[in-house]
Amino acid sequence: MTTVHDRTRLTGRSLPRTRDREVLCGEGTYVGDVRLPGMLHATFYRSPHAHARITRLSLAKALDLPGVVLGLTADDLRDRVHDMKPFPFQSRDPFRGGNPAIKFADRVGLAQGKVRYVGEPVALIVAENRYVAEDALELVEAEYELLAPVLDAETGAGEDAPLLYEDWDDNVTLRFDVSGGDVDTAFADADVVVERTLRHHRFSGTPIEPRGVVARYDEAANALTVWTSSQIAHAVGVLLENSIKADKRVSVRVVTPRVGGGFGQKWGFYPEELVVPVGAMLAGRPVRWIETRREHMLATNHAREQTHHVSMALRRDGTILGLRDRIYADLGDAYPVGGLASIVTTPMFVPGAYRIENYEAHLFGVATNKTPFGAHRGFGKSEAAFCIERMMDEAARVLGLDPVAVRMRNFIPPEDFPYVCATGSRYDSGNYPGAMTRLVELLDYEGWRERQQAARAEGRLIGIGTILAIEPSSSTRMGSYNNGYYSVRVAMDPAGQVVVATGGSDEGQGHSTTIAQLVGDELGIDPEAVRVVEGDTDHTPYGSGSYSSRFSVVGTSAVTLASRKLAEKVRRIAAHLLEANVDDVDLVDGRASVRGTAGDSPETAVAVHDVARVAYHRIHDLPPEEEPGLELIYHYRDPNVDFPADERGRVAMFSSFPYSADGAVVEVDPETGQVKILSYVSVHDCGNHLNPKIVEGQHLGALAHGLGGALFEQFTYAPDGQPLNRQFREYLVPTAADMPPLTLEHIITPNPFTPGGYKGAGETGTVTPVPCLANAVEDAVRPAGGRIDRLPLTPRNVWTQLHREHAND
Amino acid sequence: MIPIPAELSAYRDITLTVNGRDHRVRVEPRTLLVDAIRDLVGLTGTHIGCDSTSCGACTVLLDDRPAKSCTVLAVQAEGSRVRTVESLAEPGVLHPLQRAFEDEFAFQCGYCTAGMLMSGLALYERDAPPGPDEIRRALVGNLCRCTGYEPIVAAIAKAIGDRASRPEDAEVRR
Repeated sequence: MTTVHDRTRLTGRSLPRTRDREVLCGEGTYVGDVRLPGMLHATFYRSPHAHARITRLSLAKALDLPGVVLGLTADDLRDRVHDMKPFPFQSRDPFRGGNPAIKFADRVGLAQGKVRYVGEPVALIVAENRYVAEDALELVEAEYELLAPVLDAETGAGEDAPLLYEDWDDNVTLRFDVSGGDVDTAFADADVVVERTLRHHRFSGTPIEPRGVVARYDEAANALTVWTSSQIAHAVGVLLENSIKADKRVSVRVVTPRVGGGFGQKWGFYPEELVVPVGAMLAGRPVRWIETRREHMLATNHAREQTHHVSMALRRDGTILGLRDRIYADLGDAYPVGGLASIVTTPMFVPGAYRIENYEAHLFGVATNKTPFGAHRGFGKSEAAFCIERMMDEAARVLGLDPVAVRMRNFIPPEDFPYVCATGSRYDSGNYPGAMTRLVELLDYEGWRERQQAARAEGRLIGIGTILAIEPSSSTRMGSYNNGYYSVRVAMDPAGQVVVATGGSDEGQGHSTTIAQLVGDELGIDPEAVRVVEGDTDHTPYGSGSYSSRFSVVGTSAVTLASRKLAEKVRRIAAHLLEANVDDVDLVDGRASVRGTAGDSPETAVAVHDVARVAYHRIHDLPPEEEPGLELIYHYRDPNVDFPADERGRVAMFSSFPYSADGAVVEVDPETGQVKILSYVSVHDCGNHLNPKIVEGQHLGALAHGLGGALFEQFTYAPDGQPLNRQFREYLVPTAADMPPLTLEHIITPNPFTPGGYKGAGETGTVTPVPCLANAVEDAVRPAGGRIDRLPLTPRNVWTQLHREHAND
Repeated sequence: MIPIPAELSAYRDITLTVNGRDHRVRVEPRTLLVDAIRDLVGLTGTHIGCDSTSCGACTVLLDDRPAKSCTVLAVQAEGSRVRTVESLAEPGVLHPLQRAFEDEFAFQCGYCTAGMLMSGLALYERDAPPGPDEIRRALVGNLCRCTGYEPIVAAIAKAIGDRASRPEDAEVRR
């Protein structure tokens, strides 16, 4: 039982997540647990080919199977669906200012004429149960004319590449250029130019709960209710309303019940989220589709795959004068799942934590015959961090300097914050040299350098990597579903219980606890009296959901300021009842009491729930100008973002800049290429901590994600475009036994742009291990001539660097 | 209940003993235990994350041993004692493992949690208390993408440690 004691603030304390106790008891409702009377079960027949023309498609035999109720192909959808609206950008037209030029394809949710990746949905089968629906998949008859697949972004961008969309002039889906300063002069003035081509691999978040959609159509009301495992209930609702073709516009309610992990994979408008509801409308019965893991690996977005041709201009002392990058992002088939927004982020933040004022980047987002590229925890910043942090080590090596010293020389100094970077964002706060100094201490950097020399003399391959990566958070973009605001409705009922409804969503972050902490502080009430509603478009204010660590930044700000505004009303009413000055009334321990008194008599204090009763049931006791009720909606607008970009592509796109200095010591087995992590240290700054145990959990979980991405996780394709990683057996994620010894420490520079000083805790750890371990492994293999230009750091890839005679490049 | 068209397959009536109660259910020979538990017995706390024995979200105890119920046929479980996450808490009282998970923030999204708790329960009920490394090894069949595992290992170790030091573990209100 949690009670509020005196003036101790709830925020900053590790309140346990008692409100989520139902998940410990097997009682939480995930989308797969939704049960509706008469519910049917859907499966998708998916493309077996990477790139092919569909020459014949027949569902006749499948429909003949007893128990099969409905089958749909693209032909059946053309009269039912306008086309899938793009996400997150809302327009096909190039945006104003420096926003990117984008191509979108018309889509109805099922393949039309061509298939463009293995796993693309081609037909929907709806049956009485899942087993029958899966049986029916084997009866779908399809014939294909195979086409050459595009499997590489850089060659795929060329004029000679096969076209995914034959009415396009090339496969380049998005072009974006951004620049700041005078890059040509910087390179002309340089003592040294360091160049490298770096390839980030394709991996993803793979939440343990796959996606799923349950849809029910109420014909009399012309209303759809859709349960979906998504991070963006409201956006899915609007996209669905805009995509369904009907005589009378169908009203849509979207519910995201408990979501079993999101990580960006559930940030998009997926074909299944359109086709399953249409299936429910046609079948006249509720329809459920639950993704299998195999489907997830093929059809839920991948991320990260980029190639960077980067060059850095330096003075001999290690000062960076300028930076150029040319980026090819492998978008897979360009579905509206967030990939475009993700890759645009990368060129904005390649300069990272460093004062690099002369910078230019050219981005090519290329459609290929792979699974669509989408959002993933670390959203474009992981790729940027890999690029800049590999280059920092490379610059140090070329100049014969210590990699820590080169970083220290170029860090944005603490006194320069808020710092406007070359691409236009305002970094809120930070102490990069302080974090690096602490990292060097905790890692015993100097000691390991000595031990490394001794080990090398014995033929052992020890490597040390140190990095500092930023994780720009709380994004906003004009003309898109992610805008820099957050809406919260807060209502206290006549018994003093509070319901907070937000346009965000929870995929495990613990909002029901942290929101109660924020509200409890403002209203001076027991957090047990606060209930949180999210992920239901009928019961929450419009909002763009959870992504980009935005809850910590705009979400907490909206909740705090909404409750503060409600608290002001409570205090005004209490002051009136107590015949006191409103400025003298405090809300503490569930009471409104006059400051300077003991607050223990009816003359000096009134219970908050009694104030609530007055607001609803004794309105004759209200101050004359006061409206009845204790309920309000508050829209918080992020003060640290801008619209639109200028002519050079510069815009303040992200508002908060958590970061982490990470260091690793690894040993590489020269026989096998296996990487063993001997020590891993992370010095993390996400501003103030709302709930320290939740913050730590977010960072630790993110690090596990990043470690998996660095070491094992990858989606690979055979030369014919067949995906080779279709199950967890072929896509290795870290297990409990894979976690290395970790040392975590937090330093705190509060975010000055938010009332709580929070920056976002959940993504930095995903970004840092990739460059950190890449640097450590290169440091280990460099004496043997090895280089780490590609990921992940699997034994095969590392071994190849030790035996470069076998390398392909 | 899943309606099964009779002409599709021979189905049979079996008795599943789940959490100490017998359930008479009609299944196909191919019906997976996890589907029978979720759709026929009606206990949805056991989750499906991979359908292929990798992730462990569907872990239940089958005669006191952890088993991945996505890879057991329902007919194979007849005659065995099946325990699921719903068996852990008494009305109003969390099991010490559940309490330790709450204390250690050992869950985030909660989707893997049922499987983690059941694998943890098998360790908790061992006569010889396992140490942290043994716990880690015992959990390699249970994937979690949220926590980084350490809080889960800590919670299981804590519950086991508490049990070793205080056999009649104090209970908390649920």
